[in-house]
Amino acid sequence: MKNKRSLFHKIIVYTAILSIAAPIMVLLLWSFASRWAWPKLLPEGFSLRAFDELFGPHSPVMPVLLSSMGISLGVAVLSAAIGTITARAIALYDFWGKELVSFGSILPIIVPGTAFAMGIHVVFIRLGLADTVLGVMLVHIIYALPYTVNIMLDVTRLVGDTHEVQSRVLGVSPSRTFIHVSLPQLMPGIMSSISMAYIISFSQYFLTLMIGGGSVKTFAVMMVPFIQSGDRTISSAYSLLFLASTAAVFIMIEALIKRFAFWRDKTE
Amino acid sequence: MARLYGKVSKALGNNHIMRKLEPYVLLLPFMLLGLLFFLGIGNALLQSLGYIPALGLSELTLSYYREILQKPALLDSVKVSLAIALVSSVLATVLGVLLCAAMVHTGIAGGWRLQAIKLPILVPHMVVALFAVTFMSQNGLLARTLYQLGLLGSQGDFPQLLYDKNNAGIIIAYLWKEIPFVAYFVLALMSSVSSTLGEAAENLGASRLRTFFHITLPLSMPAVKKAFLIIFAFAFGAYELPFLLGATLPKALPVQAYVEYVNPDLRHRPYAMAMNSIMLLLTLAISAVYYWLLRKDFKGTGGGQYEK
Amino acid sequence: MSRKIIALLLSAMLVMFSAVGCSKEKKQEEFDANADFETIVEQAKGSTVRFYGWGGDEQRNKWLDTVVAPELKEKYDITLERVPMDIDQILAKLSGEKQAGEEKGSIDMIWINGENFYSAKENGLLFGPFADKLPNFKKNIDENSEEIQKDFGYPIEGYEAPYGKAQIVFINDSAVTPEAPKNTAELMEYAKKYKGKVTYPALPDFTGSAFVRNVIYDIVGYEQFMDMEADKATVKAAIEPALEYLRELNPYLWNEGKTFPAASTEQDNMFADGELALSMSYSPYSVALSIEDGLYPQTARAFQFEKGTIGNTNYIAIAANSPNKAAAMVAINEIMSAKLQASQFSVLKALPVVEYSKLTDDEKAMFDKVDIGKGAIPQDELLSKRLPEMPAKLVPIIEEIWAEEVVGK
Repeated sequence: MKNKRSLFHKIIVYTAILSIAAPIMVLLLWSFASRWAWPKLLPEGFSLRAFDELFGPHSPVMPVLLSSMGISLGVAVLSAAIGTITARAIALYDFWGKELVSFGSILPIIVPGTAFAMGIHVVFIRLGLADTVLGVMLVHIIYALPYTVNIMLDVTRLVGDTHEVQSRVLGVSPSRTFIHVSLPQLMPGIMSSISMAYIISFSQYFLTLMIGGGSVKTFAVMMVPFIQSGDRTISSAYSLLFLASTAAVFIMIEALIKRFAFWRDKTE
Repeated sequence: MARLYGKVSKALGNNHIMRKLEPYVLLLPFMLLGLLFFLGIGNALLQSLGYIPALGLSELTLSYYREILQKPALLDSVKVSLAIALVSSVLATVLGVLLCAAMVHTGIAGGWRLQAIKLPILVPHMVVALFAVTFMSQNGLLARTLYQLGLLGSQGDFPQLLYDKNNAGIIIAYLWKEIPFVAYFVLALMSSVSSTLGEAAENLGASRLRTFFHITLPLSMPAVKKAFLIIFAFAFGAYELPFLLGATLPKALPVQAYVEYVNPDLRHRPYAMAMNSIMLLLTLAISAVYYWLLRKDFKGTGGGQYEK
Repeated sequence: MSRKIIALLLSAMLVMFSAVGCSKEKKQEEFDANADFETIVEQAKGSTVRFYGWGGDEQRNKWLDTVVAPELKEKYDITLERVPMDIDQILAKLSGEKQAGEEKGSIDMIWINGENFYSAKENGLLFGPFADKLPNFKKNIDENSEEIQKDFGYPIEGYEAPYGKAQIVFINDSAVTPEAPKNTAELMEYAKKYKGKVTYPALPDFTGSAFVRNVIYDIVGYEQFMDMEADKATVKAAIEPALEYLRELNPYLWNEGKTFPAASTEQDNMFADGELALSMSYSPYSVALSIEDGLYPQTARAFQFEKGTIGNTNYIAIAANSPNKAAAMVAINEIMSAKLQASQFSVLKALPVVEYSKLTDDEKAMFDKVDIGKGAIPQDELLSKRLPEMPAKLVPIIEEIWAEEVVGK
């Protein structure tokens, strides 16, 4: 009985993985293809156009990629941090306006992107935040918060604060309690939050363009015009680079956290 | 500045005030960002009422709303958006939870397989549109495979999944992205529940199936419901997929708003903003209803010394 | 310890809040476009100028980065920074900045034309007049030509300078469909013969819109539109025979005319994939480039209607709040030079804006030796069958009527 269940579950998981891998494979093929007409199942022509565009000597792509990753990492960490403390307030405290805050945290997803971008643009100009990296990061954080707050909310609620209370009762200071007791328990949620916030920031196009005003160049801003122009060769290559860099960041985050946890256990 | 700091410090010396202030302090960054957010929305609303002094429009008016609401095309657009959002979100939630459960139960909550399943979340919607056309168009890989296998006569025989009023292609495209999203969103919670309470239940003799439906799933519901709301709201308000993969008419609501927005005549901006506001109101209403119906789940479970 | 942190945070927030309340004062010294060009060149030295425009053409991007930028740096010590942004966002940014009273923006040069130019100029987002002050404008451009004086029928008055020319052409694969329809009647026959393989991009796509306008010209002529009133009823009455034609065409089109490709890029891809037999493009020599890149088969070719196809010019304008107007003027001037125009023609196969007869013999040679590539129409033939664009305000009206009267009918 258990084996059947396991098999069934495994089939689901691997089917999912297959249907995810197939389009990615196609991306790879298109990155080097020039022509792929009916009814061929494989491309007919080979081209290095995309390679030249991305890695050629004149190409600004790699520096932009690195700076975009930096920006998004910053956004991710900040969003996770703010998400954690906000979730903490909602989950563990009782205060006036609690439900409103809880509901309000979902708002950026509900509000159409163009409307928000156009509205906040003027405000940011007056605040001197338009065309700056800080401004772009702020709007990215606003968009990532619904996800980080809600991920952390669930995890915080589940973890509760009984362990914390116990630790305090035993005389451990609040900061040590947080670092050694609460944080490890919240870590899966924090990791999720960082990942989620990173993607949201890294894939933002319209918002970055409007607030960054072209002064803040991100990878997405360079990539999207090619997708819109229907150039499959180049947009596939860009997309692959996009995915590869994001995957690399995720692996790095996970490895870092694991090291942190490992060290934590050792000092116990 | 130093004096200010000193004053604040003294106030915080008082434990009682400190306790009361704590949640508000924790919420400070969120509130500040929230303020920015509302400033932006407010401005957008002003624009929808026709107030864009830079373009010489300085009178507040409801005329843009009136004009839009009088067009029968608007109702069609709302229907299209609702249909796409509802169908894709419900399906994605059910299948996503299924996938999540499968992952938790086979212990594939980590490693390369988790990363593989996370991939669609990384893919921007525009690229998903690319995939959709590559695979599902009448000229796409699915059609070509069937043709090579002799199962398809010509391009025209392949069913019209894209660019058609049935919007099947758009829904499938959303599913590709949203099933992994739901699975991932719920994963943290579900695996926590499963490894603690779920395992406890099984140790006490409950069958796997019972444990899942009576303990794991119910306790994961907060995350599931939130995931549903998030993907529903997104599918309702996003324009990329319906724009690139949808029929020319009727257009989904966000596409209609986008078309107005890119209209070279800048004085059309209020139309775009008005349409966006209508979209916002609709989504807000649906979310509010949703929240109210499920308010029990959204209240804090509290616990600990900080309540009251 | 945490209390101290909280106290610090709170105080910092309070201070920041009060600071933010201050308004921004940014005054710009008056820039005089009427000054001597040499003075302007002096002013421009060492500055960075930003050129905003559509970034989806990787060859144009490369040309700007590897040919134009070094030329400007070497000759004038100006750094050209290319910023990819769609025109609608550029205009949104400029109007947002205008609203906030931002006198020193970040956009200098804008790649623009048509209805967008009309809108920008009307709303005071552009700087000018400047074009007629540029030496190369006086030297190389035919100032009296209709196309240089007006953009989509709207007077330019020196607020933008010509950059390149475009003309709509049809494209098909001679190996697959030997016919090249020369007018709307033949197009109907062609669509009937290759049922389901002909279509055009949904309006308001730029190319789709131009196609419909071309059909209108072919059926009812073009002169009447040049000064027509921008009134829906008037326009509808004038284009009724064309609407009739388009409705008649629907059943033979891809998807029976119930739905159309969302953008011209989709249409191009469908053509490249063999799903469509016909495509159209505003870049008359894109055929040659696409064959070169291996996107289109070797037998693809471009053709026109006998009565002509619509052509227009695209331009560069300067933002009203540009912080580097001097450098912008110098850069724009250089782009109108024979050298860069010939380079644009050779590398991008974009039609030059310079008036051939005004060039020196050396300059003429630069253009003569350019090989236009496979499948393309020779320049003089192309230009001999060139029709003007109709006034910008009529275009959205036609697009609206099309959506109501043609789609799915």
